[in-house]
Amino acid sequence: MDVKGKERYNWPVTILLICGLITIIFPLYMTIIIAFKQPSEMTNSISGILSLPKTWSFSNFAEAMRVTDFWRSLRNSLLITGVTVILSIALHSMVGYAIGRNKAKSKWYNFTYLYIVSGMFVPFAILMMPLVKQTAQWGIANIFGVILCYMVFYMPMNLMLYSGYLVNIPVALEEAARVDGATTWTTYWKIIFPIMAPMHATVAVITALSVWNDVMTPLVIMSGSGLNTLPLAQLSFQTQFGTNYNLAFASYLLALLPLLIFYIICQKQILNGVVNGAVK
Amino acid sequence: MRKRSKMVSLFLACTMCVPMLLTGCGSQNNSGKIEIELVQYKPEAVDVFKALEEEFNRTHDDIHLTIDSPNDAMTIIKTRFIREDYPDILGIGGDINYSYFIDANILADVSDYPGLADINQGYKDILEGLEFVPTEGTYGVPYVANAAGILYNREMFKEHGWEIPETWEELIALCDEIEAAGILPFYFGFKDTWTCLAPWNSLAVGLAPADVCQQVNAGKTNFTEEYREVAEKIMTLVEYGEDGPFAYDYNNACTAFANGESAMFAIGSYAVPQIKSVNPDMDIDSFVTPASSDPAGNTLNSGVDLQFCVTSACENKEAAYEVLDFLLADENLQMYLDDQSAVPCKTGDFILAPNLDGMTQYIAEGKMADYQDHYYPSEMAVDAQIQTYLIEKDTDAFLAKFDSDWQRYNRDIIQMVRDYNQKNGIQ
Amino acid sequence: MKYANDRQRTFMLMTIPVVVLFFAFNTLPLIKGVIYSFTNFRGYGTYDWVGLRNYIDLFQDARVGKSYLFTLKMAVLATIVTNVISLILALGLNSKIRFKSALRGLYFIPNILGALVVGYIFNYFFTYIIPALFNTTSILASTTWAWVGIVIVCAWQAVAMNTIIYISGLSTVPEDVYEAGSIDGATGWTKFKHLTFPLIIPFFSINMVLSGKNFLMVFDQIMALTKGGPAQSTESISYLIYNNGMAGGQFGFQSANAVLFFVIIVAFSVAQLRFTSSKEEQL
Repeated sequence: MDVKGKERYNWPVTILLICGLITIIFPLYMTIIIAFKQPSEMTNSISGILSLPKTWSFSNFAEAMRVTDFWRSLRNSLLITGVTVILSIALHSMVGYAIGRNKAKSKWYNFTYLYIVSGMFVPFAILMMPLVKQTAQWGIANIFGVILCYMVFYMPMNLMLYSGYLVNIPVALEEAARVDGATTWTTYWKIIFPIMAPMHATVAVITALSVWNDVMTPLVIMSGSGLNTLPLAQLSFQTQFGTNYNLAFASYLLALLPLLIFYIICQKQILNGVVNGAVK
Repeated sequence: MRKRSKMVSLFLACTMCVPMLLTGCGSQNNSGKIEIELVQYKPEAVDVFKALEEEFNRTHDDIHLTIDSPNDAMTIIKTRFIREDYPDILGIGGDINYSYFIDANILADVSDYPGLADINQGYKDILEGLEFVPTEGTYGVPYVANAAGILYNREMFKEHGWEIPETWEELIALCDEIEAAGILPFYFGFKDTWTCLAPWNSLAVGLAPADVCQQVNAGKTNFTEEYREVAEKIMTLVEYGEDGPFAYDYNNACTAFANGESAMFAIGSYAVPQIKSVNPDMDIDSFVTPASSDPAGNTLNSGVDLQFCVTSACENKEAAYEVLDFLLADENLQMYLDDQSAVPCKTGDFILAPNLDGMTQYIAEGKMADYQDHYYPSEMAVDAQIQTYLIEKDTDAFLAKFDSDWQRYNRDIIQMVRDYNQKNGIQ
Repeated sequence: MKYANDRQRTFMLMTIPVVVLFFAFNTLPLIKGVIYSFTNFRGYGTYDWVGLRNYIDLFQDARVGKSYLFTLKMAVLATIVTNVISLILALGLNSKIRFKSALRGLYFIPNILGALVVGYIFNYFFTYIIPALFNTTSILASTTWAWVGIVIVCAWQAVAMNTIIYISGLSTVPEDVYEAGSIDGATGWTKFKHLTFPLIIPFFSINMVLSGKNFLMVFDQIMALTKGGPAQSTESISYLIYNNGMAGGQFGFQSANAVLFFVIIVAFSVAQLRFTSSKEEQL
């Protein structure tokens, strides 16, 4: 894909694109400088708005961490995202395998496939209120309930991805294992599951991004229970009475940081994953 | 086969562990104490409640009290009710939600609570009035009241020699005078919809009958008739406010008023702590909004700002009463009053904040009426309707919509009231 | 035969628990939602059956009508804006430019940021920074323009995703198509219209479905930017269902609204699939 040889770069387009970056850099720049400023430095003049803070003090961040109980929210977010991703990979790939191998010849599996995939059309809005009641009645109005909901919400998409990917894996591989006396279960975990690794990466990236940034599900299922996720903590922080914008922006920045770091480290995998998920 | 069962059990073990791990972090304090949970809806009072919570737990060995002051508390409380997860004590306002909760049998009868005897009868009556149909019991213990009207910058008034207006005409004349002096008369901050209700309420108590909502429910009158003057007058007031009041929210308005950008602020006493946080030395006083041309017709807009209700789900009513005793103890109540510039509902000698000087006379004389919005159903979103009206400036359309929406959102309540009246032979 | 049995049993064992889970957290709440829509339930306390009253009210309720209109209007505009910008960006990022991968990486950043926090940040921009820079009032305070503010924030985030998809589409266009095109003298717009665009139609349809559906369900941005205001002019359907259903005591009525919304989403998806698949067949 990269330009080969000594072909000339298209400089005008490059420059235009660099200028366009301002729409992305500017909001981030403002977020950072506001997060570092003190309330007294907030003025209404243009130069005052754009200028760098007088001192780079982390006091806003320390205070924001205290107010939003940052570490606990971070832990909850990590826990929810991590467990959802692991369970999604394990369960969704399994059901994707079972359905993908059988849906051509079995009516039951074909029906199951359509049944689950049609779940894509169900908006969260209609499930929301009954789910709130249901999770509470079943005693899972907590992190566990949120994870179970996510497991189901992302199932249609992941099922499609896995069963679509399975078409590329020849059945002959399993036949060979069968000759060696392996059961279907062991064949799956030993042979098929590792082969699906690229799809696991895609599923992990898509699920992780959506779960991490989701607000609505934890909001309705866990609110008031004292459990917060990182985005939810921002919501609870917006009080009707009294706002310190510098503190708020420090807190926003803290909330954005984990994913930004993750993105910087695994940029390539994330981009590939996202494209795979959407295009397949 | 052996391998498979190993895998299965490993997997099952993993999935089992997860919920255990998760529930493990939720509950704490199993030391045999009685747990009492109080959820109160005023996030601005979070600090004083934190202090009260600590003090209670320090002095009580058998009961452990937890006080939650969540943001957007009404949504949280209702979501918890949807989950059938009830706190022991609710700290809520005397508004329509209280009526709903009584109707849904969520609240317990507290008429056997001895502390009720010390509560000002006027506030107990206000709570009675909020019940859709009269009931036998008492469901809330009023704690503090607030008063709404117009806050003003006392220093600025003195400096210019402005007088406190007693009639609507005087108020308008005063606004013109302030404007002539190059100062903004009012700051509103109408980006938050609820702030639109503050001037609305304080005008409505003076211009419409106190029980207008019940009268409409009984089919005796309509809002187009009763609220026309209120609607016209609030529109007049807005013209004396900042340009584009819908760009600024409550915080902006408090800050602007604190910095002397406006001479007056049509809001309740509950705004004083927020204003003082910006300008601690500010000398704020208040007066009753003169809504009509007759000074005798002025009524103070005052309602139960915070009351404590015990839920029917509370297993230890005795312990809950002990918490109430503690909160109502004179020194603790005074601590709350100092922090929040509130008016106590308990009788006794309390020191009131100087910001209420202009209103104390009305309180002493009992010339008070409840906020009318305490009767508006929340899903009708009257605050947003007033905001819409102030933007679009169409009085007839606003009032017509008010009436038709009222009928629609109150359908079940109106039916209930009529059934009750029929059954009891009330016309 | 023993193997075949084991295989079928394993497949069943793999499927059934997951189907049960799916039923419990998708189908069951869906059915319950439909049932609630025939009641006047507040979410707590007792309730009565009211038959079709909620559905009749739904079509007479100005606030509900307004929220559908707003959601539709904003979804359509946001979809168009997003797709036009991202297509241009993708063409740029796919051409022979310097710093290609760095630029691609940077342009993707908005997509990984949480919509709620982005909304809060933009809320501050609209209220303070932009009015200060251009000496205007905040567009979020205007009933006529607040929805445009929401479109801007939604598009800002969604462009990143759509661009990446277009880029992957453009990279499937073989070089020789261009070469053949240049021989025929096709340049610029004609080249794009007749050569490039037809080849990336599948990606175009993916993007339309993706952004259209996401924008119809917009929630976080509303919560962060306007909370439905001013004057209820920016209440999206999801926001209205959440706000009035959970906090406003309209559990039953908003369930009916959610059922209607569900029907619309299904109709929208089916229509879009039909439309795009017929388009693809033509080619």
